[in-house]
Amino acid sequence: MNPCHEYLNHLTRRQFFSGAGLALGGVGLNWIAPSLRGAGLGQDALNARVHPPQAGFPHFPAKAKRIIYLHMNGGPSQLDTFDYKPGLQERFDQDLPASIRQGQRITTMTSGQTRFPVAPSIFKFAQHGQSGAWVSELLPQTAKLVDDMAIIRSVSTNAINHDPACTFLMTGSEIPGRASIGSWLSYGLGSENNDLPSFVVLTPKFSPKVAAQALFTRMWSSGPLPTKHNGVALRAQGDPVLFLENPQGVDAGTRRAMLDSLGKFNQLSLDRYGDPETLTRIAQYEMAFRMQTSVPELTDFSNESPATLDLYGAKVKESGSFAASCLLARRMIERNVRVVQILHRGWDQHGTLPEHLKIQCMDTDQGCFGLLTDLKQRGLLDDTLVVWAGEFGRTVYSQGALTRTNYGRDHHPRCFSVWVAGGGIKGGVVHGETDDYSYNVVKDGVSLHDLNATLLHCLGIDHSRFTFKSQGLDMRLSGVEPAQIVKAILA
Amino acid sequence: MNFRRLLFIGFLAPIGALAEEKIFFNEHIRPILADNCFACHGADAGHRKADRRLDLAEGATMDLKGVRAIVPGDLEKSELWQRIISPHEDEVMPPPASHKLPLKAAQRALIKKWIEQGAVYQRHWSYEPVAQVPVPAAAGGAREHPVDRFIGARLASRKLAIAKAASPETLFRRVHLDLTGLPPTPEEIDAFLADRKPGAYERAVDRLLASPRYGEHFGRYWLDAVRYADTHGLHLDNVRQIWPYRDWVVNAFNRNLSYDQFTIEQLAGDMLPQPRIDQVVASGYNRNHLSTSEGGAIEAEAEMRNTADRADTTAAVWMGLTANCASCHDHKFDPLTQREYYSLGAIFKGLADRPWDGNVRLSGPVAVIAENPVQQSRIDAITAAIKPLEAVVAARASQLVDADPQVMKVAKGPLTYEVIWAEDGDMRTPGNLLGIEGAGEWRGGAGVPVVGGVRALRMEGATARPIAFTAGDVNLVIKGEVKPFAHVYPDPVNPPRAISLELISEENVRRVIWGDREAFGPAVAASAIFAGPLPELGRYTRLQITACESGLTENKTFTGLRLAQSGGLVWWDRVGAVITTPNALDDPLLSQDAWARTLRTGARAFAAVPLRHDVNFLIGLSGTQQNAEEKTWIAAWHRDYIFAPLRARLEPEVLAVRQLLAEQVHYEITLPVTLVSGERAEPLPARIMIRGQYDQPGELVTAGTPAFLPPIEKSGPRVTRLDFARWLVSPVHPLTARVTVNRFWLQIFGSGLVRTPADFGTQGELPTHPELLDWLASEFIRGGWDVKKMVRLLVTSQTYRQDSRATPALLEIDPANKWWARGPRLRLDAEVLRDQALALGGLLRSEMGGPPVRPYQPVNIWEPVAFGGSNTKTYTQDHDAALYRRSVYSFWKRTAPAPAMANFDAPSRENFCVARGRSNTPLQALALMNDVQQFESARGFAERLLLRTSSDPDRLAYAFRCVTARLPTFKESGLLAATLATHRTHFGKNAEAASLVIANGESKPSAALPVSEFAAWTMVANLLLNLDETVTRN
Repeated sequence: MNPCHEYLNHLTRRQFFSGAGLALGGVGLNWIAPSLRGAGLGQDALNARVHPPQAGFPHFPAKAKRIIYLHMNGGPSQLDTFDYKPGLQERFDQDLPASIRQGQRITTMTSGQTRFPVAPSIFKFAQHGQSGAWVSELLPQTAKLVDDMAIIRSVSTNAINHDPACTFLMTGSEIPGRASIGSWLSYGLGSENNDLPSFVVLTPKFSPKVAAQALFTRMWSSGPLPTKHNGVALRAQGDPVLFLENPQGVDAGTRRAMLDSLGKFNQLSLDRYGDPETLTRIAQYEMAFRMQTSVPELTDFSNESPATLDLYGAKVKESGSFAASCLLARRMIERNVRVVQILHRGWDQHGTLPEHLKIQCMDTDQGCFGLLTDLKQRGLLDDTLVVWAGEFGRTVYSQGALTRTNYGRDHHPRCFSVWVAGGGIKGGVVHGETDDYSYNVVKDGVSLHDLNATLLHCLGIDHSRFTFKSQGLDMRLSGVEPAQIVKAILA
Repeated sequence: MNFRRLLFIGFLAPIGALAEEKIFFNEHIRPILADNCFACHGADAGHRKADRRLDLAEGATMDLKGVRAIVPGDLEKSELWQRIISPHEDEVMPPPASHKLPLKAAQRALIKKWIEQGAVYQRHWSYEPVAQVPVPAAAGGAREHPVDRFIGARLASRKLAIAKAASPETLFRRVHLDLTGLPPTPEEIDAFLADRKPGAYERAVDRLLASPRYGEHFGRYWLDAVRYADTHGLHLDNVRQIWPYRDWVVNAFNRNLSYDQFTIEQLAGDMLPQPRIDQVVASGYNRNHLSTSEGGAIEAEAEMRNTADRADTTAAVWMGLTANCASCHDHKFDPLTQREYYSLGAIFKGLADRPWDGNVRLSGPVAVIAENPVQQSRIDAITAAIKPLEAVVAARASQLVDADPQVMKVAKGPLTYEVIWAEDGDMRTPGNLLGIEGAGEWRGGAGVPVVGGVRALRMEGATARPIAFTAGDVNLVIKGEVKPFAHVYPDPVNPPRAISLELISEENVRRVIWGDREAFGPAVAASAIFAGPLPELGRYTRLQITACESGLTENKTFTGLRLAQSGGLVWWDRVGAVITTPNALDDPLLSQDAWARTLRTGARAFAAVPLRHDVNFLIGLSGTQQNAEEKTWIAAWHRDYIFAPLRARLEPEVLAVRQLLAEQVHYEITLPVTLVSGERAEPLPARIMIRGQYDQPGELVTAGTPAFLPPIEKSGPRVTRLDFARWLVSPVHPLTARVTVNRFWLQIFGSGLVRTPADFGTQGELPTHPELLDWLASEFIRGGWDVKKMVRLLVTSQTYRQDSRATPALLEIDPANKWWARGPRLRLDAEVLRDQALALGGLLRSEMGGPPVRPYQPVNIWEPVAFGGSNTKTYTQDHDAALYRRSVYSFWKRTAPAPAMANFDAPSRENFCVARGRSNTPLQALALMNDVQQFESARGFAERLLLRTSSDPDRLAYAFRCVTARLPTFKESGLLAATLATHRTHFGKNAEAASLVIANGESKPSAALPVSEFAAWTMVANLLLNLDETVTRN
């Protein structure tokens, strides 16, 4: 192949419409250089996908085309939500047996405790759906959908503190600097939407009563991948997309006039220097202009029916709430955004767990229900993957004083519960088991690398072949050691 | 990547030419083997399959059960070849299970030819000594620049040549931006164009290199490399203070510190004999890594990460080594063993800082930077004097405790106790550390009446004096009852009209008066409490008030007690309080835990009470993070300086220390203080960490450098940081000079001669111009590591000065511009884009250095991600001049970098970064159009244009020159005029919109200009700041 054409096609596919972009159209682009048309960059290029996939992607037909990642930041207690351990009631305040702990490391927040008293959950559990999955009373709405989801009770991680654990969950490595899962997907699969970014991040509000851990932009960063695959944070306060709004006094007509002039100047620049980047820049300015209308349209819920709004509960009307973020997620999924990530904070219950965990669940339960139901009603759940996961679980023993009504739980990386629903996932499955103390996995363990490999599989990607060379290594989201796809939860 | 690799090989060895061409292992074969074979047949013994290694000739030719992978010259017997061409799935290499694709025909052809030619192995090119390369003959005349001779020779073999020179305007703007990060003004352009004498360009380069702006710009690249930032980077991501190091870097470039010295001072400035303060500041390099004090984190893990981060960064930045690959196993591709990796790390194991940052601004070792030698000697004197005095206090305290062990026993439950705040002298206050405000003098000796101790406070006339708590103390939060008291001795001959006591608090408090209630004026009298007549003259009376009566209820805070008198002579003595606390264990003055708790809460939200950094640091550590020695030290500190029951008895000893301590703290909060390196007496033991796990220590290792590099000289029994730094810059080191000149090339030309600037190993790309790279490296060493000289060499070449126009033909032949038949055209970096806008807007400030500033930032960047207790949770924007400083001085929060930077590919500074990406996104378009920093600059730019008395065409031409350095063409002039007309019409009809437009930003628009005209020009300026040609260095 002619190297020039290859290079230009390469540009066309991979750089030309790079980043969070929009297709051209509707706006006169008669200034596109004839010289570049001659060189192979014609109207075809301008009609191309804004976020093209890598060649050969997906590796095989995908069950899921999009993913919504609900991250419960801080580490929700599996013992009080999905991992039902009725036997613990009799062991209230007994010491955690050494045979269970097996001398494993614990954080320095509790390593100084003289005792590790067992704290059974004070919440009631019941079986739900046809599958009969146990869910605690804290999540009454989510519980209605157990037949649509696979609950994995045997997930484990390597990290025992928030910062490395979040980094591991989102990038497959505890060391900051790797690409996040959303960036990987944006890079591999691109997106079919030409008007919105391919990877969007939402950080909803959370109760001021709970202590929240930090998030890090590295949780949606592209690491060594091209920076255009960074997650774009849609913000509840200020411009929904940074710098989206024109400065005060500049209306759309004025901006259009300025852009018309800019396009003409940049065309002259293109003629002068022949730099393909200039052509990209012309397109990006037009995309920016289109985003100025498409993003406000996205965040405007006025066309949503009352029935739909009801699914998400009253809080959906509160800008920046978890429920509103869920509805926003559905609207983006509808528009074919590839990855939506919602990071809800405040799940770090070292103390006062019964009260604070309840607040957290009330904050999110209805939103999760609304999202899944809404997706289902619209037929979108068939090809959209939804994941609900914290960065680790919590200990069976109480951190601090244990009473009949109050306890805290420390970080616990050895097991925690995650649910997955939608495209490619078998509903009504409860996968994996932990021991009587929800301390160690005893059956069907799933590492985070396994989980990521499974998510990639649903999205039509062979995780072992999904690599990017950086610093002399073939980087892989699913890590160095071979990861296993969790076949039992696949449809 | 494959695409690039393929092109690369294609260019190096056109396939048609293979038949005659000599095949070289490094150039042709190693990249193929490294990509496809070394993972299982390379240096890593742990993962080697079938005991076969192919990275060394001995391994490849070794007879293993009758099989030899390579028999030089014999394809038939070379198993390697047979396996590559095998049609059988279970035989073919690379095996299908490895997910490697079968070798391409071109790759096979190369391997075939190489084996036929004798399969000669070479050591990896970058580990070979830097070659002494002769400069090629000048094809373009004897005066041809050496860089151009190398570049030209390679171009000629492709029937290409260096392009014609860029126009003088374009070139001048290019070199201006590349050397200073700022565009030239039209006046500077005129001066340059007017200089017709030979050497005008070289003189311009020299001027730019001499500009302080050069160091700001070049320093910034280095700050990326060493991941400089203003926060810790992990968990709380609180503020850390190391900006003097940043200033040192800027300054080092400006004074052209040689790169070898630059290296030594950063890695080991503290270990030089009698180091100067700037050399110690430079050693802050070792403190730039991410750090944490996350509750629950494990020390061994934190310590290991810090060490790894230091080793990895140093290896990558100086040597282009991907050392981290060897943290879990021997390096798979490069000859670095796991043991060598930990030996490299061991060099940093002597550093004295703790693995924790305490979530505080300053964790030791730190350096206080005095303003002058006199101040420096005062600081040194205090430091020297305070230690023995502290020992005296400690000894006396121990003595008291030994004599009365019960005194330390504080039990849970309510307690009433007395605390003394002044007995023989009062304390310098946090707000007034160097002197005592207020009147009076502590006197002792014959005739002085005292209650306790040896001195009393003599006050005469209408006067007042605050007795406040001191550094190291806490503000008193009222929990139970507090009854402050003072002893007064009114002089019988010259009695005062009245005396008063008053709590010092931010709350409203009522003053308590004895004597004439009107003595302090009617306003005071109206709100005061009248306690009674003046106490008896000629003797001491204890006067006592209650906080409650004064108006301070539970949980209110006060910081001291103000003594006042109206006229007369009064002796004051023994000032203190009787405190009733509901629970002694919750009282900071009784319980060390409660004290630390109180301060830790304060410390996270910017300590209200200044503490010496070492005390503050230990309080920042959780109990489990403090080691035994630290626990003892901080407990003793509390006992000696805070613990109320000992306070009065320790008075004479404590007083002197407190005065000096206050002065020490004063210097720490008023002078620049910065994180630096220090060396512990014995380094921490270094071990191989099995599989890179902190909890799986293996064999002990000693500090050392990899065997494939030149041997290191030890100055003592073990390899130190100083030895290591000297080794890095020894003239025989094959990597440092190559990696460094490659980085300079990258900065100037946009991509390196080695296009993987942080990987000079076998997985990295080969140099496009190996001879040029080696020539530059040897020039750099020979020239005494002179950075400005090297930069000057690069920018004076025709290769640099050529036109950047990419013709379709050139794009076809060399799309990635590897051979430099055209100049590079690059989108400006984040900082340059912001600084350029500020400069064009007439807003840019020229002040250098100092604490980081916080310019405009959209709302809600920090808040949605930050930890609740972080002191970088809320972004508080600065105002006025701080908004317009150069971007290198902006505050850098690692977990949420400023969007104006991150949008344009600035790294987070969590890891080293020697080459930024150059993306081109709609988010950038939005930022350049709408970010207030850009738009306010456009407004400022318009104002400058309008204040020039000239016609529209003149102004437009001038404006165009400001952004592109050249005059607009006829067509461009027309476009500009039309644009102006459009906006004029619009704002002529929309005066309200116009006044909104010019009100963007915090600087005040000139009131002298017609608003609609001003707005129209602002839009023209906004257009100009967004031009492709403006945001690009052409």
